[in-house]
Amino acid sequence: MGQGASGGLNRQGLPGDRKNDGDKKEKKFEPAAPPARVGRKQRKQKGPEAAARLPTVTPLSKCKLRLLKLERIKDYLLMEEEFVSNQERLKPQEEKTEEDRSKVDDLRGSPMSVGNLEELIDENHAIVSSSVGPEYYVGILSFVDKDQLEPGCAILMHNKVLSVVGLLQDEVDPMVSVMKVEKAPLESYADIGGLDAQIQEIKEAVELPLTHPELYEDIGIKPPKGVILYGEPGTGKTLLAKAVANSTSATFLRVVGSELIQKYLGDGPKLVRELFRVADDLSPSIVFIDEIDAVGTKRYDAHSGGEREIQRTMLELLNQLDGFDSRGDVKVILATNRIESLDPALLRPGRIDRKIEFPLPDIKTRRRIFQIHTSRMTLADDVNLEEFVMTKDEFSGADIKAICTEAGLLALRERRMKVTHVDFKKAKEKVMFKKKEGVPEGLYM
Amino acid sequence: MAPDPNSTSSGPREEASVKVPSKDPKKKDEKKDEDLSDEDLALKQQLELYVERVQDSDPGLQKMALESMRQEIRTATSSMTSVPKPLKFLRPHYGALKSFYETMGDSDLKKYLADILSVLALTMSAEGELESLKYRLLGSEGDIGSWGHEYVRNLAGEISQEYAKRQSEEAPIDDLMELVQQIVAFHMKHNAEPEAVDLLMEVEDLDLLVEHVDKTNHKRTCLYLTSSARYLPGPDDILVLDIAYVIYLKFEEYPNALQIAVFLDNMQYVKQIFTSCDDLLQKKQFCYILARHGVAFELDDEMVVDNDEREALQDIINNSKLSEGYLTLARDIEVMEPKSPEDIYKAHLLDGRASAGASVDSARQNLAATFVNAFVNAGFGQDKLMTVASEASSGGSSGNWLFKNKEHGKASAAASLGMILLWDVDSGLAQIDKYFHSNDNHVIAGALLGVGIVNCGIKNDCDPALALLADYIGKEDPSIRIGAILGLGLAYAGCQNDQIRCKLTPILNDAKAPLDVIAFTAISLGFVYVGSCNEEIAQAIIFALMDRSDSELGEPLTRLLPLGLGLLYLGKQESVEATAEVSKTFNEKIRKYCDMTLLSCAYAGTGNVLKVQHLLGQCAQHLEKGETHQGPAVLGIAMVAMAEELGLEMAIRSLEHLLQYGEQNIRRAVPLALGLLCISNPKVNVMDTLSRLSHDTDTEVAMAAVISLGLIGAGTNNARIAGMLRNLSSYYYKEASLLFCVRIAQGLVHLGKGLLTLAPYHSDRFLLSPSALAGIVTLLHACLDMKAIILGKYHYVLYVLVLAMQPRMLMTVDEDLKPLSVPVRVGQAVDVVGQAGRPKTITGFQTHSTPVLLAAGDRAELATEKYIPVSPILEGFVILKENPDYREDH
Ligand SMILES: Nc1ncnc2c1ncn2[C@@H]1O[C@H](COP(=O)(O)OP(=O)(O)O)[C@@H](O)[C@H]1O
Ligand SMILES: [Mg+2]
Repeated sequence: MGQGASGGLNRQGLPGDRKNDGDKKEKKFEPAAPPARVGRKQRKQKGPEAAARLPTVTPLSKCKLRLLKLERIKDYLLMEEEFVSNQERLKPQEEKTEEDRSKVDDLRGSPMSVGNLEELIDENHAIVSSSVGPEYYVGILSFVDKDQLEPGCAILMHNKVLSVVGLLQDEVDPMVSVMKVEKAPLESYADIGGLDAQIQEIKEAVELPLTHPELYEDIGIKPPKGVILYGEPGTGKTLLAKAVANSTSATFLRVVGSELIQKYLGDGPKLVRELFRVADDLSPSIVFIDEIDAVGTKRYDAHSGGEREIQRTMLELLNQLDGFDSRGDVKVILATNRIESLDPALLRPGRIDRKIEFPLPDIKTRRRIFQIHTSRMTLADDVNLEEFVMTKDEFSGADIKAICTEAGLLALRERRMKVTHVDFKKAKEKVMFKKKEGVPEGLYM
Repeated sequence: MAPDPNSTSSGPREEASVKVPSKDPKKKDEKKDEDLSDEDLALKQQLELYVERVQDSDPGLQKMALESMRQEIRTATSSMTSVPKPLKFLRPHYGALKSFYETMGDSDLKKYLADILSVLALTMSAEGELESLKYRLLGSEGDIGSWGHEYVRNLAGEISQEYAKRQSEEAPIDDLMELVQQIVAFHMKHNAEPEAVDLLMEVEDLDLLVEHVDKTNHKRTCLYLTSSARYLPGPDDILVLDIAYVIYLKFEEYPNALQIAVFLDNMQYVKQIFTSCDDLLQKKQFCYILARHGVAFELDDEMVVDNDEREALQDIINNSKLSEGYLTLARDIEVMEPKSPEDIYKAHLLDGRASAGASVDSARQNLAATFVNAFVNAGFGQDKLMTVASEASSGGSSGNWLFKNKEHGKASAAASLGMILLWDVDSGLAQIDKYFHSNDNHVIAGALLGVGIVNCGIKNDCDPALALLADYIGKEDPSIRIGAILGLGLAYAGCQNDQIRCKLTPILNDAKAPLDVIAFTAISLGFVYVGSCNEEIAQAIIFALMDRSDSELGEPLTRLLPLGLGLLYLGKQESVEATAEVSKTFNEKIRKYCDMTLLSCAYAGTGNVLKVQHLLGQCAQHLEKGETHQGPAVLGIAMVAMAEELGLEMAIRSLEHLLQYGEQNIRRAVPLALGLLCISNPKVNVMDTLSRLSHDTDTEVAMAAVISLGLIGAGTNNARIAGMLRNLSSYYYKEASLLFCVRIAQGLVHLGKGLLTLAPYHSDRFLLSPSALAGIVTLLHACLDMKAIILGKYHYVLYVLVLAMQPRMLMTVDEDLKPLSVPVRVGQAVDVVGQAGRPKTITGFQTHSTPVLLAAGDRAELATEKYIPVSPILEGFVILKENPDYREDH
């Protein structure tokens, strides 16, 4: 369910006040009054919003019937367009609304102040609080869309009498809108060395269900909800996710686990909820949560409020993964270095049951990675990368990259135009040195 | 960096379009080699060798090389995300092989090579080149499936392109059709019926399908065909349905075939089914289907040889057992106890003020109660107002309720007895009889109407309704005449009864007859001859319209004349055109109204998008005051679009726009259109919209919305709507007209205590009962001018809904047609069209034992193996026969 589901922690509405309000409002005899569904924000799916949603089309497999059905929908949409544009031409709404708007602006007065709706009394009155000072019992102006009012929402108030004159409606949490990846990252599949099996697997689990749902339907299975990428640091997990973002046409939302930990109680779960709601709105979409261990560690007795909050955030995440309504078009990719510390509930079948391991690169992969990272470097003729490829040291992809960068820097330091074999050797030692925490390589050999 | 072909980064098609940059190809190649695993490298070299050998001069070597290449390709398996390796490695050599092919002399080898080129073209051929097809046609014509699904699919695509091309060039297509045969055979064998059908539709030769269907796949094939027919334009849809019909006949799936025959309104087909089927049980089931559809159908001795059998079957078609079945259902669900209007209003749930409402205009209150009582107790044969006293024989008190109504109110009250005794002709007529002796004309009029209502949908050889009513048609008093005329219309809806035509048509052109009599005559004829395209009646109505004076044309009831005319062409599409032409010559006051009505009736239930567009265009204009044709245009959108779910949902969206931009006369019709789209199917979003509109500042919009709330909830007992209406009843307690509407809506929601539906669609939402639709549409047109008609003295128009009333049940009966209780699963229907295998057809089911109620969108399936249903669609009456293979588990 969207956000209307669980009465969020920050919502102060009296339980059951909706029903009472419904009855109460009928008591006064005022034929002109519209029905206010006071006390509850209308679920997103209804009203004009619902109309915006197109009916689902079955069958999913590509066939003429599907084509015909989609064409039927298109026909209707064209008619709507024709009708609406006709109307706009005949009776330009602009002018009329412009007039109305200026009138409303007059009524609102300026400056306005921002407040918080504490409680709805009836369809014309509410208790509000401003950021400073106490709570007030004030009127709601008639042009405020009462269907959208709900306890806890941000409102605009008249500066003197404090009556409700408007409603602040940033539908999407600004935090979430930042998460959307607008510009595709530059890394593509071609920039990944090796990892063929992993690429294939992530494609089958994440991209294919979005682009070819019919394949799964044909076989008669539900596509996996998502995957978790795990393995040593620097083995290309984030890189692969970037490549997915680069190649997919679906909306890509990325978060780092730590971002989900928020300052105020209830904000973390709310953010998760919001994140998935946005993902649903923009579907088909892929949600990528990096470093999931930040919120997904095993549950144990939490001692501080903060820890408990983190756990709640994870619980919300579980809830979203289970998806009250089926999130057919939302796929989740998680990434972590420490899969063993994750809560088993997160990984149980039905949630994230596809685990993709990222091992340290083998010799062939190493060679590819070296190639990728040296492809734009000018190498001296004496460079023999095979030497590094073949070494017995444990390298991760990130290490290789570091070596290449380091070697380049060394050459730069000496103002050489080409990177030599010696540069690489030094670079390697340096990297290995850092890795083994100050024990220079070869000391014990 | 260019995409590395070794990565699995793109599907087959994309791969084909990626051109490897030509600069420095050598370096590229080397690099590629480096990345390959040893295995791949070996394969690659191997294939290169083959390619070389193919171009060798020695035919023996060539043959061997080709053979091995073919082996390699065939045995290669691929994952969904990548191209098979051999194909990938052969890509660079495609051009070379192609040019070598051209140099070859004709031989088997050449054909061999063509085969391989055809497969390679799958990933290589440039868009639009159709090379795969080209080489296929040049090739050896071997088993088409041996190259895998993707190949066949691609080939099918190319065939349809090629076909279109050749059609425009008028080139021969024999070789293509040869191939089509193979592909269709392949698809049909591999559970890909939709693909086979699609291909045949592309090449316009669906007949081929009949040879290829078999026992295992004909059902899925036909399902796909019938669902596609809904969305196909023009004559194609009929063509497709014809094929489905032929296939069903071939496999002796007679009930399914019958559905298609009924859909096509092709009585010849119906007859054919009766004659080709020789199973009496099945024939009985056919009769149930025909009866539910409400078509008049006479069996003759060709269809059923045995006299007794024929009589028994005709009885079923005549619906003579409908009342019995309905009461069985009622007893099973234990709702026989009569309900009073107060039980429905549930005023005690509202606090305080509601009871005060009783003081307002009590005659109107009583009239509302009359209707509520009639709707709620419809068909149960007992209630607490009309039938009570006559049983208690205390005398008088039944008269009491009747006389609590004033004047024309008494007509509706008397007629309500007919509704309560609905379908039970014998006791109905007996109980109504007493009113015939009344000296109050209104009571007699009501009694006449009541007789019509009782007989609605029931046919009887001695034609009691005709015998009783005919005498009153010519009476002096207009209300008596209307009662008799409308009664005949209801009793014989869809019968196309000649006697009635002869009796009624003269009235239309009788200069002395008052307008209301003429209007109801037109409607009644519309009911009786619904969808018949009867010329004579059309003529008569047209003349009647032409004879109207200017002022008469402005009368609210005049709208029933064009509507009656429209009903004659209900769903008959082009057949209306001649009449529509004539209507263009009418007085401009009615011309457009007539035009819209005819159009919307003729295309009702077709889903024709062009007509919706036309109607929407009419609504886009902003009119001078006084023009009324936009109302029927809005209703027309709903009538046309209600044909299928998608159109329905989209029409709801369009209506939303109409609300936003339309003038008052459009806004008034929108709720009614919504009511038609979702009749007896309370969709939550529509419910919300209507609830919003029910508080509209424009009273007429509010009234229409209230009535529509009743329509969408009709017979569902929907608690949410009931709650809304209850609140509305206290909200509007001072406004008599609105309160009246609220009461009517409350009665509708509890129609038949929740056992009845008004939905004109039945049989898995495939068939549209014309008379049911006629009834609903008539009411909606009447609601376009609520104040003058329903709130005026013609409230009995509400009773035309009886045409659409049907029990929403599944009643299983044994071979002797006695009720038989078996467990069934009832759940939300799932669209399984085009899905392979045997997918679940319902979700979220519960198991009940029959008889059970079915809500909109529900589907039932038998939960026992012990019986086999004679009809695949478990709705209404279904005959079960014992399963001979059934073994009791121990
Ligand atoms: N398989 C690989 N191919 C190419 N580069 C790699 C590979 N693995 C890691 N790298 C390099 O290492 C860097 C860090 O990898 P990253 O994906 O962030 O690691 P982590 O698995 O810890 O998320 C990447 O930016 C990339 O340049
Ligand atoms: Mg990372």
